[in-house]
Amino acid sequence: MNQHRILVVDDEPQIQRFLNPALTASGYEVILASTGAEAERLAATSAPDLIILDLGLPDKDGKEVIETVRAFSEVPIIVLSARDREAEKIASLDLGANDYVEKPFGIGELLARIRTALRQQAAGTSVPSRFEANGLVVDMVKRIVSRNGEEVHLTRKEYQLLVHLVLHAGMVVTHRQLLASVWGAAHVHDLQYLRVFVGQLRAKIEDDANNPQFIRTEAGVGYRFIAE
Amino acid sequence: MADQGQKNRPDPDKLLQLAARETRGKLTVFLGAAPGVGKTYAMLLRARRLKEDGADIVIGLAETHGRVETAELLDGLEGIPRKQVNYRGKVLEEFDIDAAIARKPKIIIVDELPHTNVPGSRHPKRYQDIEELLWQGIDVWTAMNVQHLESLSDVVTSITGVTVREIVPDIVLKRADDVLLVDLPPAELIARLKEGKVYLPGNAERAAVGFFKPANLTALRELALRRTADRVDDQMIDLLRQNAIEGPWATGERLLVCVGPDSLSEKVVRTASRLASGLNARWLVVSLTQTNDAGGETSKRLDKLLDLAERLGAETRRVIAQDFVEEIFRIARRENVTQIVVGRPKSARFANPFRRSLPDEIIKRFTDIGVHIVTGEEQGTPYVPPSMRKRTRLELAKAIALPVAATGVTTLLGLAASDIVHAQNLSMLFLVAVILSAMICGRLSAVIAAGLAFVFYNFFFLEPLHDLSIAKPHQLFSLIIFLGVALMIGDLAGRLRDQVARSRNQAKNTQALYEFSRKLSGTARLDDVLISTATHLHSTFGTGIVILMPYDGELSLQTAWPPDLTLDGTDMTAVRWAYEKNERAGSDTATLPQIGWQFLPILTSNGVAGVLGLSTQNRAALGENDDRMLTAILDQTAIAIDRAQLVRENAKTAALQESDKLHTALFSSLSHDLKTPLASITGAVTTLRQLGSRIKADTRDDLLLSIEEEAGRLNRFVANLFDMTRIEAGTLKANNLPVDAAEIILSSIERTKKLKPGIAIDTSIAPDLPMVNGDASLLGQTLFNLLDNATKYAGDGPIAVYAKQDGPEVAISITDQGRGIPPKDLDKIFDKFYRRVKGDGRAPGTGLGLSISRGFIESMGGTIKAESPAIRKRGTRFIIRLPVANSDDEAMP
Repeated sequence: MNQHRILVVDDEPQIQRFLNPALTASGYEVILASTGAEAERLAATSAPDLIILDLGLPDKDGKEVIETVRAFSEVPIIVLSARDREAEKIASLDLGANDYVEKPFGIGELLARIRTALRQQAAGTSVPSRFEANGLVVDMVKRIVSRNGEEVHLTRKEYQLLVHLVLHAGMVVTHRQLLASVWGAAHVHDLQYLRVFVGQLRAKIEDDANNPQFIRTEAGVGYRFIAE
Repeated sequence: MADQGQKNRPDPDKLLQLAARETRGKLTVFLGAAPGVGKTYAMLLRARRLKEDGADIVIGLAETHGRVETAELLDGLEGIPRKQVNYRGKVLEEFDIDAAIARKPKIIIVDELPHTNVPGSRHPKRYQDIEELLWQGIDVWTAMNVQHLESLSDVVTSITGVTVREIVPDIVLKRADDVLLVDLPPAELIARLKEGKVYLPGNAERAAVGFFKPANLTALRELALRRTADRVDDQMIDLLRQNAIEGPWATGERLLVCVGPDSLSEKVVRTASRLASGLNARWLVVSLTQTNDAGGETSKRLDKLLDLAERLGAETRRVIAQDFVEEIFRIARRENVTQIVVGRPKSARFANPFRRSLPDEIIKRFTDIGVHIVTGEEQGTPYVPPSMRKRTRLELAKAIALPVAATGVTTLLGLAASDIVHAQNLSMLFLVAVILSAMICGRLSAVIAAGLAFVFYNFFFLEPLHDLSIAKPHQLFSLIIFLGVALMIGDLAGRLRDQVARSRNQAKNTQALYEFSRKLSGTARLDDVLISTATHLHSTFGTGIVILMPYDGELSLQTAWPPDLTLDGTDMTAVRWAYEKNERAGSDTATLPQIGWQFLPILTSNGVAGVLGLSTQNRAALGENDDRMLTAILDQTAIAIDRAQLVRENAKTAALQESDKLHTALFSSLSHDLKTPLASITGAVTTLRQLGSRIKADTRDDLLLSIEEEAGRLNRFVANLFDMTRIEAGTLKANNLPVDAAEIILSSIERTKKLKPGIAIDTSIAPDLPMVNGDASLLGQTLFNLLDNATKYAGDGPIAVYAKQDGPEVAISITDQGRGIPPKDLDKIFDKFYRRVKGDGRAPGTGLGLSISRGFIESMGGTIKAESPAIRKRGTRFIIRLPVANSDDEAMP
């Protein structure tokens, strides 16, 4: 098995104390860093396949680390953050972090996020021509969407929205990222558009729009497309 | 066409008036021609009807004059008790305005509009009381007879021969929302009088016989009817304007009324007022003076006159001009005046025989404008022009002595030099004397000097000598020219001198104001601004100054100069009036004029910021010049207050933001401290559950241990929070008993060692350590907190714990050898949530330990303090002192 190397950046020894054995037991190679500077150095020199980053570091803000790392690497970054620091989460995602996990978290959740991120990374930039999950089919060549065999008619924006979410399946996409990709950079603050279009999209592809299976809301942050 | 559209739009001014009226109470005036026509009766009858319909109507004051029918009407109507007022030993009953405002009915009846209040009341006049009620949004019904109207008072006097003392300004009636005429034909009124149904106050009874003549009553009735009809007209016009209906209202007439300081002008104003009201025309009253005699007699007279004009509903304007006719012409053209009203005093013809009177000149100048000339004898105090005003004796002596001396000396010089200087050239020397007199003592001296020079020159230097006769005709000619030149030069020099004096005075004022504003601009604190203002005003006007500003919703004295000034209750009423109404109050005003203060609102861009009080006890009223100075200073003060308040607001905002930031930091720190152990526990548990089989046994053990440790940490944190809450809520009760401190110290050390194995703690406890008064568990927790704290910051050195008796106390010290605490932070370390190292990357802890420790120790009656550095520039020492338990305490339960 081709072993992935994960860089864990956290200054709390208690967190490292369980992350290290858990990740090792799951088949990953773990390297540890407890400061921002150390993290940046290790990210550059030891070529990790994924970084788990706590935002509260003793020497610098975790967001700075994301910026520095993104300057030279597209390595997936999963941010560990507390629920009440919403702005920080969004800022991290907009800076290039791939996903986040709220503290306290179960190890299963983290492992799932790690797998998704690694899979996305492996898929690289090649856009799949077809996506299929739980009866939902998105044919990106013919631009046809069907649900349980029946074609679903989407408007252009709805389709673009769905494709963007599907391409990031399993990962959180911030409001800002969605707005910028579907409506353009000028509309990154027009949250209202997004709410309306996501609502319409859910009505068309979900069994129960009030209890969505595909498009989950990440409160205050964005949306996550669930493919499993 | 566009013009047409413009015209048909509702007049915005009219709509604004309407809007103002809607928040104001409505004034209804029951107008009668004479006493006894039944105004009060009519008013009460109407009130009863409204009351029966459920209206909230109360009687503020109704004069029944002992008439049974009227008194019966009062039955069942709510009344406000009258106020008893002591005045010169007599107890008088007055309308209680405060009670009325407190009751705040929808409608209140306050009879006798022209009534003059007892001195010492809030307002001198009842119509001012009513104005305040209206302002409070209460509808008022009141009653008056037409003879009390200001513009009619002289007419009434001329008709009836009775002088009307209690006067109501026309503007009151004009502003009334409704005027109801209570009419009774004269014959019926006289009949009622004969039946004794008309009440007349004691001293009026004598006049009554003359007053209640059919002719008088008919004339008064006509006045009342006409007034009411005028109002109906006005209302009609208002209605048309509000609804933008084209109508024939615009008479287009505009009156210009020219007045001066002479006593006839008052009559001119009254006449013009009637004329304007008859023509339904707007009228402008212009006062004309040649100089700006600020603060002088002229100015005061004009003030009074323009005040009267304003009360009668005129616009007023003050004009200083040299050429009256030209100025009047200019104003008339600009204001589209159609008629001019001007007075010609009968005595004027003699006053200035060389000049044509003003009316004549106006008539000559205007060809297309009607000119009304009001003639009459000067009434009241005749006007004395300022130049003729009495000078002080010294001034007068100087004004005469100087020209006598100057011309005398010139004569002597001339005599001495007559051999070398030709007599004709000596006239120049006399001119010098005239100019000198004019420059030093003004125009009067110049005229005297010119006269004397004329006589002396003639007497001593012109042939025949020592004789006032003149020999040669050409000498007569030159002598007359000399006199003319002397008079002219003297006059000019005198004027120049006056102007110089005025400019100097103005420059002084400007300089003072400039100094003041410079002083103010250097102060940013409100207190300094107020003190600067008070001291400056005190030195400018030489009188006591107070400044009041709202504080906690109450106006309170902020600054006084001299500092021992105080205000009494009546003064405060005036202060509040000035503050709330943005109007002057106190002496020289219509509100509480009897008090020894004048209060002026300080108006800033944010409204009235406060009130400035000027003591008028030892000082005459403010002159116009003083007034202007005061206004300028107040403006400066207002700006400075604005600025000071802005500075203060800024500081407050900054402090608020700082505290906001602190709160945010606190919450994030709390959340971090709670979540980190939770995250560790959750992470470890889920790892064990999901991956347990794949993990080595010793790692599993470590994970389990970490769960135990983190749970313990969480527990301590929560316990700390609870303790803090108990201390803050004041529910912490130490169970203080004699306890063995040594035992508690040892057990705390043991507990610490269990948590942090391998920590070095040096312990030294005095063998004879007495029992202390305290709570064993609280003391134990405190010591544990301090030890825990020490282990976190100790560095590598050992922790030292000492305990010994120190007088009536036991001192326990815990010393670490860490980095220590900078002196500036020593005070803060006992504050709640205070942690010296900020951010995530610090030693774990709640920031509560020390704060809780202090709470505990204080509840045991002890003290706790920190010292740093403790040893060799390093470390921190905490010292706890607890009272030694004595036998008395031991006996206590």
